Order: sequence, then C-alpha cells, then structure tokens
Amino acid sequence: MKQWISACLSLLTLLSLTACGSPEDDPKNLISQSTEEKQIVSLFSPMEKSNPNAENVARTAADLTVAMAEAQLGIRVDYWTYTAEDYQDKTYDEVSLERVRSNMDDLYLLNPNVILTLGAEDRLMDLSELDSAKNLREIVYTANTVDGKLVAIPQEVVAYGLFVNVDLFKQYDLELPNTPEEFLECCRVFRENGIETPIGANRWWLETFVFAQAYADLYNGGNTQAEIAALNSGGARYSDYMRPGFEFLRTLIDRGYIDAEKALVSEAIEGEGADFLAGKTPIVMAYWDAANAETAYGKTDFEMQVIGFPSSRGQMPVIPMTGWAVGAEAEHAEDAMRVMDVIISDEALQLFAETNRVISPSKNVKVDCVPSLRPLNDRIEEGVYVLGSNAGMNVEQWGNTCLIVRDLLAGATVDECMAAFDALQDAALNKP
Amino acid sequence: MKKIFDKQDKRKSLSLLISIIMVFCVFGTVVLTVSRQISREMSASAIQNLSESLDLIQSTIEAILRNEAEFQTLIAQEVARAEDPEAYIRTYERNQTLAKLSLIPAGATEGVSNNGEPFTEEGLDFSAGGTISKMPVSQSYVNDMGTWSYTIKCPVERNGQEIGTLYAEYIYDTIDQSLPDGFYNQQATLYIMDAESQRFVLKPKGMGMRSAGHLNLTDFYRANSIQEPEIQAEVEHCLSTGQNALFYHDIRSVEALNYMWAINNGTVFLVGYVPVAAIQQEGRTVNQNIAIVVASLLTAFFLCIVLYYRNWRQEDKLRKEREEERKLHSQQLAEALQAAQIASESKTTFLSNMSHDIRTPMNAVLGFTTLLAKDAEDPAKVREYTKKIMASGQHLLSLINDILDVSKIESGKVVLNLEKFALNDVISSVDAIIQPMAKAKGQAFHLEVTDIRHEYLVGDETRISQILINLLSNAVKYTPEGGSIWFRIIGMKQRSSQYERIRIEVEDNGYGMTPEYLETIFDAFTRAENSTTNKVQGTGLGMAITKSIVELMGGTIEVFSEVGRGSLFRVDLELRVLEEADRRFWEQRNISSILVVSGNPEQQKSILSLMRDTGVQVDSAPGADEALKSPLTGQTCQLVLLDWESCGPQAAKRLREGLPESVSLLLLAEFDAAGMEDALQLNNTNTLTKPFFVSALRAKIEELWNESASLPEDTGILKGMHLLAAEDNEINAEILAELLEIEEATCEIAANGLLAVERFQSSAPGEFDAILLDVQMPVMNGHEAARVIRALEREDARSIPIIAMTANAFAEDEKAALDAGMDAHVSKPLNMELLKKVIRQISRRKD
Repeated sequence: MKQWISACLSLLTLLSLTACGSPEDDPKNLISQSTEEKQIVSLFSPMEKSNPNAENVARTAADLTVAMAEAQLGIRVDYWTYTAEDYQDKTYDEVSLERVRSNMDDLYLLNPNVILTLGAEDRLMDLSELDSAKNLREIVYTANTVDGKLVAIPQEVVAYGLFVNVDLFKQYDLELPNTPEEFLECCRVFRENGIETPIGANRWWLETFVFAQAYADLYNGGNTQAEIAALNSGGARYSDYMRPGFEFLRTLIDRGYIDAEKALVSEAIEGEGADFLAGKTPIVMAYWDAANAETAYGKTDFEMQVIGFPSSRGQMPVIPMTGWAVGAEAEHAEDAMRVMDVIISDEALQLFAETNRVISPSKNVKVDCVPSLRPLNDRIEEGVYVLGSNAGMNVEQWGNTCLIVRDLLAGATVDECMAAFDALQDAALNKP
Repeated sequence: MKKIFDKQDKRKSLSLLISIIMVFCVFGTVVLTVSRQISREMSASAIQNLSESLDLIQSTIEAILRNEAEFQTLIAQEVARAEDPEAYIRTYERNQTLAKLSLIPAGATEGVSNNGEPFTEEGLDFSAGGTISKMPVSQSYVNDMGTWSYTIKCPVERNGQEIGTLYAEYIYDTIDQSLPDGFYNQQATLYIMDAESQRFVLKPKGMGMRSAGHLNLTDFYRANSIQEPEIQAEVEHCLSTGQNALFYHDIRSVEALNYMWAINNGTVFLVGYVPVAAIQQEGRTVNQNIAIVVASLLTAFFLCIVLYYRNWRQEDKLRKEREEERKLHSQQLAEALQAAQIASESKTTFLSNMSHDIRTPMNAVLGFTTLLAKDAEDPAKVREYTKKIMASGQHLLSLINDILDVSKIESGKVVLNLEKFALNDVISSVDAIIQPMAKAKGQAFHLEVTDIRHEYLVGDETRISQILINLLSNAVKYTPEGGSIWFRIIGMKQRSSQYERIRIEVEDNGYGMTPEYLETIFDAFTRAENSTTNKVQGTGLGMAITKSIVELMGGTIEVFSEVGRGSLFRVDLELRVLEEADRRFWEQRNISSILVVSGNPEQQKSILSLMRDTGVQVDSAPGADEALKSPLTGQTCQLVLLDWESCGPQAAKRLREGLPESVSLLLLAEFDAAGMEDALQLNNTNTLTKPFFVSALRAKIEELWNESASLPEDTGILKGMHLLAAEDNEINAEILAELLEIEEATCEIAANGLLAVERFQSSAPGEFDAILLDVQMPVMNGHEAARVIRALEREDARSIPIIAMTANAFAEDEKAALDAGMDAHVSKPLNMELLKKVIRQISRRKD
C-alpha cells in the first residue's frame, strides 16, 4: 500500500513538473513547411451502392491490398468511381473504355470485354514482366493474353454460378438440376406451385447460361485449342456454339420462367436480389463474391447453395476474367505498375483470399471457401468449368454475348441473335 | 447508552456522506456546465468555421465557373473575328479546362467540334435554366471521356449579329483540383451535386472503393439512413430555392453535421457531412483536458482521503489499544481494589474474630485469676481455676502460634526441616492427640494404614504432624457428637523406588461445607460461618497453613464436601525413602522369625510387606490353631503377633498355652481396644497398638527386652539443679524462678545475654548444671550469648547444656538455636514437662 501511495505521489510530482516545464521556442511562422508531395496513382473502379452499416468484404479485401501497396511504396492511391444509375446511363464498360482512351486514370478494374478491346487497341500495359505475374495460374494467362501481352491480372478467379434456395427445392421435393432439361423441370414445378418467375435475372448475367451450354464441350472435351483455332479461322461458327444456350434462354423467357422486360432494365443484384433474399425467387445467378458479401447474398435466412449452370456435362461454373490493368499512356504508369506488382503479389493475394474466401489466381494461395460455395468450388477444383472470356478468341465473348442476350430479352429471335454472332465473327475475320 | 452513541455516530457519518455527495454534485454540476458551455461555444464556433469554409469553396467554384464563362466569351469573340469560325474551332486543342469546343452556326442544327466530329445540341439539356454569368449551362452528363461534365453555351456575335452559338464542355475534375485536399482532416466528405438531376458529379477520392461515392442524393440518403421526411423536405426546399442547408444526422452511427451548400444560385450544390467529433475537436480536447484536471483533482482528493483514512485508522487503532489497556488497568485496579477490600475485610473480620477469640480465653484467664485470688484458700477451687486458666492459656498460645505461622508462610519465611522420621511416630503422636479428642465427643475414630512399603522417611515430621493435626482436629471440631472420623494412610504406587507416595485421607460425616465455602476454604482468615459452627472456636487459619505446608512439600491437597454429609480431605505427599539398615537390631536380639496370626488378610499382607527388609522370617496364620501348627512355632519363632480384633482373647489364650514361655506374644490391638485385661495377665504377653509399624514393633521389643533393666521415669530430674537463666522480662523471669522452685531447682536470673555470659565466666566449674537463654534480649541476644559461652576457655564451656527459651516456636528457630551452639530449644510459655524431657535427653546424650 505504501509503495502504491509512493508511486502515485511520484507520478503526480512528475506530472506537475512536466506541466510546469517551459515549452520549446515556437517558430514565428505557425504553418508547417514540410510539404512532402506524395506520388499519386489514380485508380478507376466501379462503385458499389453501399448499404447503411453493411460491410462489403470483397471491397474491403481489394482496399486492403491497395493499402498494402500504399504502405510499401509510399504512394497515395486516389479512387475514381462510376456506376450507372440505371440502364439509360452509360455502362461502366463504356465509361471505362472512354477513360482509358482519354488517359484519365492510371489503374483500372476492367471487365473481360473491355480488357480485350483495349488490349487489342494496345492501350494497356504488358504486365507479364511483373515479378508477381510469375505465380499466376495458367487460366489467367489464357483469359487475359492479347497479342502476346498479359494486359490484365485479376485478384480473384471470378466464378459465376446459380445461387439456389435449397429450402424451396426441398419443399417441392426437387433435386438440384444438372442438365438444361432438369433445370426446366424444376422451373415447371416451381411455377406450378405458384412461383411465377422462378429465375431472378438482370441485364448482365443471363449470358452465363449461354456460355455454360456453348462451351461445356469446348473447354472440357480435350480439344480446346483446336476448336478455338477453328473458330478463329472461320472453320467453325460461334453461332453454332451459342445457339443451344440462346434457345434455352428463349424457352425460359417464353415459358415465363424469366421476366424479360424486368431483366432488361435491372442492374445486377439490385433487380432480383430482394426477391431471392425474401425467398420468393428460388434461383438467381451471381458471381462468387456475392456469397461472401453481406451486401449481396452473404447472409440469407434459408439454406443457400451455389451450383454450376446446367449443361450437357452437368453443373458448369462460368469463369470470366475481370482484372486490373494499367493504361499504356497513363500519367503515372510506372507507379501504377509498382502498385500492380504489390496488389497481385502472393502476400496481397493471400490477404485478399483470406478476407474474401475466393479462388486465388496465384498458384501459391489456397483458402477454404464458405460452405455454400463448395459445390461450385468442387467443380472448379475438378477442372470442370467454362471461360466467360478468352483473349485467344478473335471475337470478344463476355461483352458481346451480354449485349446479344439483351437483344433476345428485347424480343429478338434466336436466329437474329445468331446472325449478330456471325456478323461479329465475320468482322473479326475480315480485320486486317 | 452505547446504542445512543452508535446512533449518533451513524447519523454523523450519514450527514458527512450526504455532505460529501452534495459537494461532489455541486462540483460535478459546475464541471458539466462549464464543459457543456465550452462544447456549445466550440460547436457554434465550428459551425461558423464550417460555414466559412463552405462559403470559401462556394466562392472558389463560382469564381472558376465565372472564369470559364469569361474565357468562353473571349473565345466567342475570337471565333467571331475569325474568317472561318468552324476552321478556328477545329484548330482548338482539348485541354484540362476545356474538354470540347463546338460551334453551331446560326440557323443550323448541326455544327462542328474541335475533334472534327459533327456536333448537335442533342444530349445536352439546358431546360433547367441554369446560367453562369447569364450564359446557359447544361445539366451535368458523362462525356465521351467518361467523366462528369457540363456545357456552357454562348452566342457568337459579329457586328452585333449572332452568327452562331459556341458550346464549351467543361469537366468537373477541373473543379476538383481547386477543392481542399483533406477537408477537416480528411474526415469530411465533399460531393458536388447537380441540382436538377440530384446526381453526384464529383466525388471524394482516395478513401477506398466503398466510400468512394454515392450515385445521387437518394443514394446518399439511403446509404446514410437519412430517411426522416422532415429533413428530406427541408433539403428539397433548399434545393428548389437555392438555399443552404445544414443539419445534424448520424452517419454510420457517428453524429455528423450534414450540409447542402448552394453554388451558382443553386445549379450545383456542395453535399457532404462532417463528423461532429471532427468539428468539435478543439472542444473535445478542452473537455478532455478538463476531465484530466478533474480526474487528477479527484485522484489527489481520494489519495488524501485514503491517507487521512489510513492515519485515522492507525490512530483509532492506537486509541482503541490505549482504551483496552486503560480498561484492563482499570479492571486490574478494580480487581486489586476488590482484592484489597476483601483482604481488608478478611483481616478486619479476622481481627474481629481474633479479638473475640483472644478476649474469650483472656477473659477466662483474668476471670479465673480473680476467682483464684478470692478463693486462694480453697485448694480444690484453686486447682479447678488453675486448670481452666491453663486451658485458656493453651488456647491462646495455639491462636498465637497459628497467627505467627500464617505470618511466616505469607512472608515466605517457612523453611522445612527435613530429617529422618518414622511414619509410625507421626501417626502415633497424632493418634494420641486426636483419639482423646474424638473420644471426648463420642466420635468413632478409625485409623487405617494400608500398602505402606517404607515407614522410615525423610521429611519435616513436625510439619507433617501439623498437617495431620489440623485436618483431624478440624474433623473432630466439625463433626457432631456420635459422628465418625476416618483417618487413612494409604501407600500409593511408587513412581520411583526412592520415594514413597503417601495418600492421607481424613474423612468425616460431620456438618460438611457449602460449595461457596469450599472455594475459599484454603484462603487465610476465613472460617465456616453458620449457626452450627459458630460455636466452634478457631483462628480460621488452619486450612491456609495446611495447604501452604503441603504445597511447600510439593504435595497436593483436595477437599470434597457436602453440607450435612461430611467432608473428605485428601493429601498426597511424596517423601524420600530412608533405607534403614536395621538388620542388626534383630540379630542383636536374636529375633530371626516372627509369626503373624491375623484373620485379616490385608493386615497380614501389610505386615509381611513392612517386615520385608528386616531380614526376619515372617510367617502368617489366620488363626491360633493354624499358628500352632506352623513349622515356625516353638522352633525358631521368637515372637508371635496376634491380631486382637480378628482373633480375640481365646486365640490369645490358646496361643499362649501352646507357645513356649520364651516366645513373646504381642496383641495387635486398636488404641481403645477393650477386654484385654485378662489377656495381658498371660505370661510374656503384651500389646502393640495398631496400626502396625516396624518401628513401633522395634520400640515395643526394646521396651520388652529392656523392661527389667529400665528404670522408672525420672520425674524429678530438675531437683537440686542450679541453673543460670537469661531473661529480660521480669515477669517471665519470676515465673521461671517459681516454676523451677516448684521442681526444687534453683535459678540465677541474668537480665540479658551479656550478663549471663559474665556470670558464667565468673562461676566456678560445675556451679551451674545448665543455662537457659531467652533469645530476644537487649545488649546481647541468646544466640550470641551461646556462641560466646561455647567459645570461652573453660572446660565446661562446651559441655554445659544450653537451652534456648523463645516465643518463636518454629523449626527454623530451633535450627538457629542449634547453630548457635545450643543443645535444645523450648518454646515459651515454658512447659516444665517439656523442659524436663529436654534436659533428660541432653543428659542421656552426654552420657
């Protein structure tokens, strides 16, 4: 007790003496002259509409890696964002194309179609020389190499799947569908049981149904390179591959399993998410992260599973490659490359994968996924998937297919849609 | 009373507590008021500061817009001056300020842009009516650079005639460069909103993707949970009227100040929020400092309280200890006082008793002396009176002896005179005293000795006798006539072969004692007081003396008593055994075997045990017939002991007839055994008083063996003796002279020791037969005189018997006398029989 009292008294004395101490001489000019100019890298990315007090782990994960780069490199990264308010606005892809072409920013998060377009225009830096690029999986190179240049690198292998309300399937004694026929049967049963629109859709992701059916054999039949070569040479027609998927979508639309009008004006998740979360819609399509993010489907009141899209080869994950790219003419291209090197390093990707529970593009990073993603993950681990974008194909897939699906939604026939593909292929073949 | 004090204490404590709480409440209120006042003032100041900042930003943006408009006017003038305005437009290069420049000639719907592409007004919305410097400005839109922009159009006039319209596209990013970097320490957000479309056309940057913006006002409301209709209505009103709005609303659970700041008459608005904490940073700092100061003060205060409390506790502890000590002292003092009072009372009572007890025999002495003087002529009466005077004197003497004993014991001056003694002597002498007393009161007195192994012991015989006499005389005193008294000497199991453990029990069936009295029985100056015992005279010191002596001997004394049923005193003593090698005694008298005839096996056993070390063969028989059949009888047996009580006169007779004449027959009988007269007429037959002791047997044998040779007791030993006596008290001297004269002896009296010495010096050898010296005398006391006499160079100086006469009757007095060279000690008042006995003993010794 005495020791405590002594210690307290000593502390008080010390505090008193400190308080009485004379301050150092203040400079006459009160403004600090230390103006350390930080190098700035402008980053352009889509902006997610945030919900009050909700955490978006996917965004947090990317921000963490950017923060890592800022700390390591002493660089400040400024975020510039754009998100279309509605379908009448310019799309993110359109804006990002224009921004890259106008050299507005340094670092961009781009969708596959934009990557291919800009890559073809030689407006993106070759990232293959980055140290971190050496750890990437082959699939990343396959999807993002344009004219021999690795033009974009993702932080995750984004896999699209069907998000299904297992409770509703069980309620109507339905097995999770593997083939298009089974899928149609499920939709029929749902509709008969009063679920008017079994599939929640938006204007962006219906193309995944098409890809699953179009390329299930191409990517899993053991003859991928030859088939792609045939497509690039005109020996095979994209429309032949795409037709079954479009017809399938036509069927879904005709039978009322998809509300085409609504889908055509719906933004991703915004349009269909509420009904899915409310248990009114048993099936939606979305990307891997949506199962992790509370802002999407990360927290449901029912048992949810993410499965592949129906195809002749069973449930089929669809993997398009979004990715980070650096503008070739960017003002701070060099710094942006250094930032890239950090945010795709194994350390950063480990952090990203652990935060976000995703499939990492690095060969060296593996983490467990959330239980609802296991069916999709298992297929990918088996090597069964189709690519939603492929830089090796001379017709850009992800963006074009999306636009043509929108035509279908708007009322175009399957033949008209196929003609559009043929036109695209012909244009590509006629390129000098 | 204690409760009242406790209540008062509690009330005081409560009052103190309430006062402290009140003080703290007032203190807290003041601090809170000051703190809130500071917060309010700082908040107002911060709002003012925020308003000024926003005004400044507003002014900056408006200046940019005006500059752009002025710049565009200049360009328009340039275009007007150009010969080919469209060619001029095409040559204009895109720059950071101006993203696109287009011209539509008057009357045409399509013009040309500086990028060479055709230009129409399609896609530009001027319907909102916004102007900058009176020039129409379009609603914001995303241009083909992928960034939010707006277009200002101005007429191109040449010579007062409008030749076309100049459209200039500006991007909001240009404004962004002029906005503050890190507004409110980067805690504030700052958007620019197009008022008409309510879309956010410029967003904060560098804050991570999630926080990097909202799409529009609705999105801003939703993302920040601003859903209150009244707020939205107020904001809507401000937007429509081009007024500023500032309101509080939590943003992500943090209290924030939200603002809508009109720019360019409300065509665009600054929208955003600042956390209140960021605005009130200074206020918060001040409050934190106040809190630190208050906390420091409170800490210091509580530290002081703790220190004070500790100090108070220590003092309280000390005070309590002192109080306890004081209380203890007071208690001790009270007890001491009480003890003193009791002692005083006891002594007062004692003195009162003594006064009564001394006066009674003194009255008797004086009364009878008066009667003696009156009836001097009547010899019978004279004898009667002198007898009573003698009894009263004896009683007085015992009283005085007891008082002196107590005095000595209390002052710790008692010294035990440890000498060899025979238990038998003690018991016999005590028995001889008590038996007559008991008999006189018609009491049955039973003496029992059991399991004694050694009868020659070392101890203070006189004191042991004193103990026994005290106990037994008390028993006699406090037992009514016809009662019984048991006196038991019991040999206990030895703890060491060197020591005999003796238990002495004195039991009676007399009055008994109350438990209260039992508690004080051993205290000095107490005496059982009741109607029954009041008539019993005594000093009340006997038991105190007894207990003291027992304890001095290392023994214990216990008492058990019940009123009306009698008492039992039990004394345990442990006395050293003296191995008396007395085998020679028996050999000298040719006694080698003894036959014990007793119907009491216990007695047989006891006798056998006691005779164990004598070397004499002892056999036993339960009756006369068996004794006569014993192989010892008539052969080697020299003595037969017959228990009178168990065998009777017939057995004595038979034995005497059957035994040779030379064999002595000793009848072992109780002190007052009756019917022995006939038996004693038998030849060589005598009695031995119970209890059996070897020493008693030896004495009896000595007596019997020397019977023929022994002379009758010389009762006139003093006759013809000439004595020298030193006595300073004339009366005593006269009494002594008279008493000696009665014994037909003569005496010369010297007034002190010195005179006695001188007289002896001057006497012829053999002139005096003995010297009697009082001890306490002036000039020279008895001890000194004895030493001087013994030291004289005279032949008879060492041999002449010197006897001390002293009122001090204690063992140590006798010892002191012997140490001084005297031969013996007699206590005063002088008992002539005792004096004669002493002189006889000295004479024998000298012989």
